[in-house]
Parts: sequence; C-alpha cells; structure tokens
Amino acid sequence: MIAEVKKLQFRSTSRGKTTDKIAKIVFMSAALLSASFIFVIAGIVLVRGVIPFTTDNLGIGRVSLFSFLTGDVWLIGETFASNLYSIGFIIISTLFITLLSLAISFPVGVLTALFIAKIAPKPLAKVLRTVIETLASIPSIVFGLFGAGVILKIVYDFSALIGYQSKGGNSILSVVIVLALMTIPTITTISEVAIRSVDQTIEHGSLALGASKTQTNFKVILSSAKSGIFTAAILGIGRSLGEATAVSLVAGGRRAGISFDLLDTTSTLTTIMLEGLKETTGIDYDIRFSVGLVLMVVILLTNLLLNAIKRRVGVVNVKE
Amino acid sequence: MSKNKRRKFNDFILNSITYLSSTVSLITLLGILIFIFGQGYKLLNVDLIVENFESQGYVADLYDNVRLCNCETTIDIEDGTYYSSKWGIALTDTTDLLGKNVVMVEYVHPKSPLLNVRDKGIGNDPIELRDEYHIIRIAFDAYPTALSRYGAENMINYLDANDSIREIEFQTEGGGIRGSIITTLYLIVLTLLFALPIGIAAAIYLNEYAPINKFTKIMRSLIETLTGVPSIIYGLMGLAVFVPLTVKLTNATGGNLLSGAMTLAVILLPVIIRTTEESLKVIPDDYRQASLALGASKTQTTFQIVLPSAVPGIMTATLLAIGRIIGESAALVFAIGTAIKDTVSLTGKSTSLAVHIWAMMTDEPANIELSATIAIIIMLIVVILNILIKIISGRYMKRKMGLNI
Repeated sequence: MIAEVKKLQFRSTSRGKTTDKIAKIVFMSAALLSASFIFVIAGIVLVRGVIPFTTDNLGIGRVSLFSFLTGDVWLIGETFASNLYSIGFIIISTLFITLLSLAISFPVGVLTALFIAKIAPKPLAKVLRTVIETLASIPSIVFGLFGAGVILKIVYDFSALIGYQSKGGNSILSVVIVLALMTIPTITTISEVAIRSVDQTIEHGSLALGASKTQTNFKVILSSAKSGIFTAAILGIGRSLGEATAVSLVAGGRRAGISFDLLDTTSTLTTIMLEGLKETTGIDYDIRFSVGLVLMVVILLTNLLLNAIKRRVGVVNVKE
Repeated sequence: MSKNKRRKFNDFILNSITYLSSTVSLITLLGILIFIFGQGYKLLNVDLIVENFESQGYVADLYDNVRLCNCETTIDIEDGTYYSSKWGIALTDTTDLLGKNVVMVEYVHPKSPLLNVRDKGIGNDPIELRDEYHIIRIAFDAYPTALSRYGAENMINYLDANDSIREIEFQTEGGGIRGSIITTLYLIVLTLLFALPIGIAAAIYLNEYAPINKFTKIMRSLIETLTGVPSIIYGLMGLAVFVPLTVKLTNATGGNLLSGAMTLAVILLPVIIRTTEESLKVIPDDYRQASLALGASKTQTTFQIVLPSAVPGIMTATLLAIGRIIGESAALVFAIGTAIKDTVSLTGKSTSLAVHIWAMMTDEPANIELSATIAIIIMLIVVILNILIKIISGRYMKRKMGLNI
C-alpha cells in the first residue's frame, strides 16, 4: 500500500518534471532567440557591407576602403558602372549635425527637466510632463512632416532675409532644428529622473549653508545628477545619429563636397542609405550595407567614448 | 546689500532661462498640432479612409430612352460652379490631390439622366456618377468633345447645347488611404503574433527560470543592446534576411507584409521583454511559493499564477508595440517597400501609413495636405494609446496597493 502511494507520487512528479523541462526549454529558446538577433543584425550588415570591398562587384572592380572613408563625392560616374563611392564628407557632416543639434537640445532639455522637477508650480509641472510625454511619443515621420512643412519655410524665409538663396530651406540648419526638437523629450525625461533621484540631504545641506533655492538647483542638484544627465545626452546622440526618415525630408541630399555652411544642403549617413534604392542586387545595393556598417561603427565608437567620459565625470563629487 | 541684490538678479535670470527652455517643448507640440490640423483637416473625412489611392477610370454612355431632366437644383450654386438644368448636373473647376486642374462633379440631381450610366467597359454594368468624381471628357454625336482642360463652364455650355451624349469618361477621386490603413492593421496583427509569444516567453525565462549568473547577464545585455540599434539598420536586416526568406517560401517578389511584420517583431522584442519582465518582477514571491506548496508544478505556477498577474504589463507592452508599429517608417521603407497599393495581400507590395507619408513627401511635388491628414490619424491613435496605457497602469497600481494593505 505504502509502496503504491509512493509510486503514484513519483509518477505524477516525474510527469510534472518533464513538462517543466519542456517549458523551460521553450522559454529559454525564446530568450536565446531574442538575444541572438543582435548577432544576426551585426552579422548580416557586416557580411553584406564588406562585399563592395572584397569582391570585384560583377566586374566593376573593388571599392577602395580608404577612399570610401575619406573621399568627398558620393559617386563618381554612372550607377552600376563605377566603383568610386565615398562617404568621408557624409561622416563628417553627420557628426557635425549631431553635435550642433545636441548643442541646442541638451541645454534646453536639461533646463526643462530642472524646471519640471524643481522650479515649476505643481499644476504647471503636470501639464509640461504631459507635453513632454506626448512629444516623446510622436513618430519621427510626423516630426519630419512638420520640418518639411514649417521649418523649411522658416529657414527659407530667414535665408532670403539675409540675402541667401537656399534650396527651398533644405539645409543643415533645418536638420539640426528637427533633430533638436526630436531629442529634447528624450533628454528631458531621463534628466528629470536623474534630478529627482538626487538625495534630499544634499539639497537641504546646500540650503542650510545659505545658498538660495536657485543656486542650489543649478550648482548642487545639476552637478549631483550629472551622471544621469550624461546618460540622457548619450541617448540623445544615439537618436540623432540613427534618425533617418525625418532627416531625409529636410536635408536636401548633398552628393559631393563637404560644407559647414548652415544654410547649405547636406546628407547624413542615414539619408544617403534611403536615397534612390531601386535594385536589389549589385554594387548600388550592397554599398547601402557598407554605409550601414559605418553608421553602426560610428554609433558604437561614440557610445564607447561617451561612456568612458561618463565614468570620469560621473562620480558625485560633494567637494565641488 | 548690493551682493544680495546681485544674487537675486542672478537667480531671476537663471529661473527665467528654465521658463524659456520649457516653452520650447510647448511651442513645438502646439506648432505640430496646429500644422497638421491646419493642413490636414480639409481632407479628413470618411471618404478618405474608404477610398482607394489610385483613381478608377470609367467610360460610360447613356441608357436607351432616358429622359432629359429639366429640373431645378435643390442646392445653392456658388460662384465658379456651373449648373445645367437640362441635365441636372453641377460642375466646378478644382485641383485634385496632386495639384492638377480637373472638372469635378459638384452635384447630381436625383432625376438626372447622368446619375445612372452604362459602363462601356466590361459587362455593361450600371455605374453611378457621384459627387466628387472627376469628369475627363464628354463626347457628343454632332458636336466637339468637351474636355476637362477647357473647364467646367465650357462643359456645361456643351451639355446645354445637346440633347444626348455619345459617351462620358470620368474617374473616381482617388487619393484615399484605405490600402495603407488595411496594411497597417495587418502589420499590427502579424507583428504582435510574431513578437508577443517570443517576447513573453523570453521575459518568463529571464525572470522565472534563468539562474543568476554571467550567462544570463550577458543575454540580458544583448537584448538591451537591441534598443540602441537605429531602425534603419533593422530595415537593412529585414531587407537582407526576411525579404529573401519570404520570397523563397511564398510567392512574394520583393518586400511584403510578412517581411515587414517580421522586421517590426524584432524591433519590438526588447520593448515587450522589458515591459513584461517589469510586471513579472512585482508579483510577490508568496504567490509562487503558495502555488508550489499546494503541489502545482513550476509550469502550472507560471501559466496559472504568474502570467495572469502579469496581464496588465503585457497589455501595456502590446499598446506600446502598437504605437511603435504605427509610427515606424525607416525600417519599413526597406523591409516592406514604398509602393502605395489599394489591394493588400500578405505577400504583395503595399505600405503602412507612416511610409505612405514618407513616400508622398519624397515625391515631386510633395503632397503636404494628404500627409498632414494621415499624420492627424496617426497622432489620434498614438494619443488614444497613451491614455489607455495610463489608465491600465493606474488601475494596476491601485490594485497592487490594495493588495499590499
């Protein structure tokens, strides 16, 4: 009798264990699959991206990696008949645009966060937080449409005012403004969290020492939250570098020559990828993956660099 | 004293700067809303949503023994609109969505012989000449043909001078977004079908099963890395992996709905995994232990105790995912293509609302009005989703707090 009960129990747990094992394997493979996609993405872009440099591209000839990275004309000669692609000028203009847009969005975003977290009266802060949340959820294509419909006109009128004939407003300035407006909500949201999580004792200490509320906000709270604020900047830069469709509607598509003129047309790594993709084979197709590869490397390097800087400046230094 | 004054002045300046900074976001949001509603409200109506993008052309003639109308209008005829009481039809000059000059039907009298005409194409079916259709030409038996480029007034004069017409060519208005709406809906359903099971299963593994070790940590950070990949890179992956895959397995010839949905599913995985995991984390361990102590197996505990408690989190993840699907453009330009189509099939070319905007804006001339109208639709959906997410998480928080007491 006792043996029978034991046997039954054993059986039921063993069946339970088998389903448990199967379930665990199913769940685990889903997690493994999700984790493996980053390798799929990096792998496919790498494999396809090096094709123009390692094969002779159906008789056209290899693309020289050095001139690809340093040249200042997108394509010399006919599409599908030339291997003279280069994106050196586009890499530089992409970084230039990202830096400029951050120069606008970073201070505005951080100050907005400070305002919402510490300065604004409660009802106003609530309204502003909703505004920021709504802005953050607006799809980039709508920002692009706004850029094409409003900002292009403003920039065009402005350039006409100072006697400059811009190409319908398509310019570095327009791209910078659109990107800045898009990244402000990102920077604000993350900075606000950082500012809120600053220890109240630091704030009280500053106030007790006779600093005014505003001095405390600007000198103590902002510098205590700088690690989080830096993270906000990193995410903002990531968003600027990767943004494609919105930028492509206001950039104007520059195909040759480096230009730092704010009212001149421009191209970024993402817009050149979107431009005129028609065939699904051949060099003009594969070269997009090379540009994608360069974009990924640029993003990776920027992130590594910024994270290294963050580690240096990130520690809360009470002595300051 | 003067030092104190200077300090107050400085504080005032600094505070003013924060006020100014905050207005930037406010102005941006207001600017966007005013712009899309100002540009897009004119086209926002039911027709737009149910109409095809490509206009349909018809050539038709009159049925035998129809009677002329000779009827007075029941509507006011404005300036620039011309009415033929003989035929009971009012025409006006206007421009279509692409900016071309066309003659548009403003009004057809219920007794007009032109209301029901015979399709000269296939099958002699009766077709209805409706308001807003564009008339291309009207040919007469013994009179020069009235072409749309000579304007509405000329066409009405010709009609008044004749007692019969040989044939009439007209086309539906077009410019509708029905195809793109259906594609977007398909994309939402398919993407969620792909992404939700995988994402939820992965979240369950990470939170319920995974041992706390280096391997799990690496797996987590690999999934987290996906959020930093720009969507255009996902597009490249879709183009190089999912498009060839679907072309090989189905009768697709290029980018299609399936490849688009698969690409979107990969984009959404990290969002779904993170949101689901967050909701799994807050389920008290007592639940699991109680279930296990009652003799339930780990699998039973997961499906019957843990998952039901995580439903609000999964719903939030779903709503976030829908928002992302509706707004995504760069990845889909590559993964599904930019062809605006009215007939939608799983393996055919068609495009989502966001890419529809992009395709029209990169076209010459850019169609800002229709784009703004689509933007209104996208924004409305996004705002509704946001509100729903807030309601769900608010209720969830309340319930949680209630449980803790």
